[in-house]
Amino acid sequence: MDLHSMIHPAYGLYLALIVGGGVVAVFARSLVRALSGLIVTLFGVAGMYLLMAAPFLAFMQILIYVGAVTVLIFFAIMLTRSSDGESGTEGGRIGRGFLAIWAAVFSTLVLAAVVVRHMPNAIPLKPEVSMGRLGEFLTGPFALSFELISAVLFVAMAGAVLLGFERRIAK
Amino acid sequence: MNYLVMYHLAALILFGLGLYGITCRKSLVGMLISVELMLNGAGLALVASSRLTPAIDELGQIGTLLVMGLAAAEATLVLAIILIVSRRFGTTEIAEIATLKG
Repeated sequence: MDLHSMIHPAYGLYLALIVGGGVVAVFARSLVRALSGLIVTLFGVAGMYLLMAAPFLAFMQILIYVGAVTVLIFFAIMLTRSSDGESGTEGGRIGRGFLAIWAAVFSTLVLAAVVVRHMPNAIPLKPEVSMGRLGEFLTGPFALSFELISAVLFVAMAGAVLLGFERRIAK
Repeated sequence: MNYLVMYHLAALILFGLGLYGITCRKSLVGMLISVELMLNGAGLALVASSRLTPAIDELGQIGTLLVMGLAAAEATLVLAIILIVSRRFGTTEIAEIATLKG
């Protein structure tokens, strides 16, 4: 079965999820709503992984991002009570939103032009890589990066705990 | 337009939205959400490049997995930093965290 002899209809659905969720995540006033938009986007990206026959990554995406990272961000919103923090004024600079749009659109368009002009031809979708093969790869040639990412995770979490112990400083 | 380009354009949309968010958001949590958007775009581009070209399959998938791990570590640290900032300054608005401003 060749999923990619043409553009798969599910691609449109996932693209709609990604774009809709991303727009909500970036433009919503309330941070809780923005976080919900981020979750929708994450599911859309997981769907695209499934469409590319990488189910392990799709499940990891849901497990790590939707399960862990968004919960962390939700804690950040909750502990700082900043859910309505976005409704303030523009912070003095009139053209800031305009400049932000310009920066994002310009860099995206440049990259899109490069992508469209210089992308090599795609090959038909390769057969799915088994999870055992991925594990062999992770413990074989990628063993050092595997160990390093564990060390980085440990250091980050130990540092976060250490930072959390700081006493309240009188201002 | 082949489907490799389509996946890369989806990743670019994520990148653009995240870049807009990180420059325009006024609170640290909003910027963190935008960074997560950009990281997802990077992962999508990596997987598309490894799955739909003759490149090594495992390379892209493991690379995306490492990106996810780094994103988790980064989110943890940023959560701690946001907590410290909100304790010291009483706010997470970036315009008011301006002690070093000359």
